[in-house]
Amino acid sequence: MIDVARLGARAGDFALADVSFTLPAGAWGIVLGAAGAGKTTLLETIAGVRAATTGRVSLRGADVTTLPPERRGVGIVYQHAFLFPHLSVEENVAYGATDRTWAADVAARLGAAVLNGRRVGALSGGERQVVALARALAPRPDILLLDEPLAAVDPRGRTRLRRELRALQRELSLTVLHVTHDFGEAGTLGDLALLLDAGRLVQAAPPETLFRRPVSAAAAEFLGAENVFAGRVTPLEPGAGDAPGTMLFRAGSLALVGVGDAGDSRDVAHAVIRGEDVVLAREHGGHTSARNTLDGSVSEVVTSGALARVTVDVGDLSLVATITAASVSELDLLPGARVVATIKATAVHLCW
Amino acid sequence: MSAHAYRPRPAQRAASAGVVLGALVLLALLLLPILALLRRGGLAGLAQLGADPELRASLLLTAGTATVATLLTVLLGTPLAWLLARRRLPAGALVSAVVDLPLLVPHPVAGMALLLAFGRATPAGAALATLGLAIVGSATGIVLAMLFVAAPLYVGAAREAIARVDERYESVARTLGDSALRAAWRVTRPLSARGLLAAAVAMWARAASEFGAIVILTYNPKVASVLSYDRFTGAGLDAALPVAAVLVLLALVPLLVLRSLRASVAVGEPAR
Repeated sequence: MIDVARLGARAGDFALADVSFTLPAGAWGIVLGAAGAGKTTLLETIAGVRAATTGRVSLRGADVTTLPPERRGVGIVYQHAFLFPHLSVEENVAYGATDRTWAADVAARLGAAVLNGRRVGALSGGERQVVALARALAPRPDILLLDEPLAAVDPRGRTRLRRELRALQRELSLTVLHVTHDFGEAGTLGDLALLLDAGRLVQAAPPETLFRRPVSAAAAEFLGAENVFAGRVTPLEPGAGDAPGTMLFRAGSLALVGVGDAGDSRDVAHAVIRGEDVVLAREHGGHTSARNTLDGSVSEVVTSGALARVTVDVGDLSLVATITAASVSELDLLPGARVVATIKATAVHLCW
Repeated sequence: MSAHAYRPRPAQRAASAGVVLGALVLLALLLLPILALLRRGGLAGLAQLGADPELRASLLLTAGTATVATLLTVLLGTPLAWLLARRRLPAGALVSAVVDLPLLVPHPVAGMALLLAFGRATPAGAALATLGLAIVGSATGIVLAMLFVAAPLYVGAAREAIARVDERYESVARTLGDSALRAAWRVTRPLSARGLLAAAVAMWARAASEFGAIVILTYNPKVASVLSYDRFTGAGLDAALPVAAVLVLLALVPLLVLRSLRASVAVGEPAR
């Protein structure tokens, strides 16, 4: 378990401040944030290679805030790997290992053993990261801190490594805290996602919640929400069956029913809608459970592989829908085509 | 658009010519005295090496004392350089200033300061004398003077060599079970070894050429710089020239070692 309470640390002029979260034992935590948000500083402070200026770090239930790194039992893998250039691949993997058999086994499973005999300086970025992963796991830590450890690995190798890491995590009951810029990785691996911004923890939630219900418009935009509108909210007349927090959002000529925090009385808000939650049709259909039905015209279609990003002008705003390229063909969606966009109220997330 | 050959304007040409001329003047100022010395005394000096036991003895003394001073500084100065490169010391700026201070003190003044601190009349000097390490008129004094004037060169260069090795190598080593000192020994020392060696060679060369501080503490036995001065004042320029020329020729050895070390000293961030 990693338990961090009101943690602060400094890295040059940068300050990490007031970060608190708990990652249960055996869970996989994902750390997200823009460059310079403090992700690496957070990992280094948990590992003990950077001193905490405030707050507390507890590992496995014990306060380790003042313990040196070598007594924390934590493995760390940096994006740049930092393999020791004066040692061979095998010597790097064995550096902290107490059980050579296990070190060789983990190196083989991750694909580092095939690099034995190669000079560290001759390895590619991806190969370095593989060796660094094996080196970090060789001492059998029960907590692993990963700072974009797969960023330089080719896509096929990344999928294989991700699978192998997941298997090792389950076998060893590893608690993993993993910095990544890959939202797909965050969704597939993470049990808990932490969003950092300017040294502060903005949101801590399961990845699905983080992506669906970001705490702010800035968080939504960072997390890749295609539609973020600024406007005002007004409470809805009490209706039958509306979820708590259901409100009417207006931005220019656009009016949407969405769901926000029922306890918040602010009227200036943002509506966040993910592109995949917007359903497009060429004409109005029959009855629908969706609360929002909008008429508009297609202004742009951008196809990327199997998916397409369709921009629909709705009044004076543009709404982006993410649909399959096959649907674009079936609906004959060309610029100028009239369409009907439907969105469930629960897919319109209202935040401040 | 038609292509025109680039032609610098007259002011740019004049500025370029000024830069080259200035560089040539400085190089001439540095080179001419050395060439003149070697032309007048070079061959004679080499010939005299075989026939002049006093010159041979002074060269051996110079090399031996410079080596001892350098080894002592490597032993004591490398941990200090590591601390200065890696740790925020409470009085780090003050410690750095103390280390650099001897570089700014005129060397005869440094000799006087050493005499005042470690002369026979002082407690430290008396203690050293009881150990058979009196500093006046002894090799011990020569080593002390060399260490005082040249150690700052080693500590400064060693600090830079250590700082060039990314601290995260040590961080990784510590998460793999090393203490701070063990990580420095197993990782930073080998990665900065060339830089440390270059620092030691630079210090050795500076120590071997020291005169001002040594002559205050120990005129006899004579190191090579004192011998050349002694012959110059006792027997004139022609008698001093061969000794001086040999010193210049020997200075080329550490210079060449330094050049080869510095050519391959960069270690730090991984290439990819």
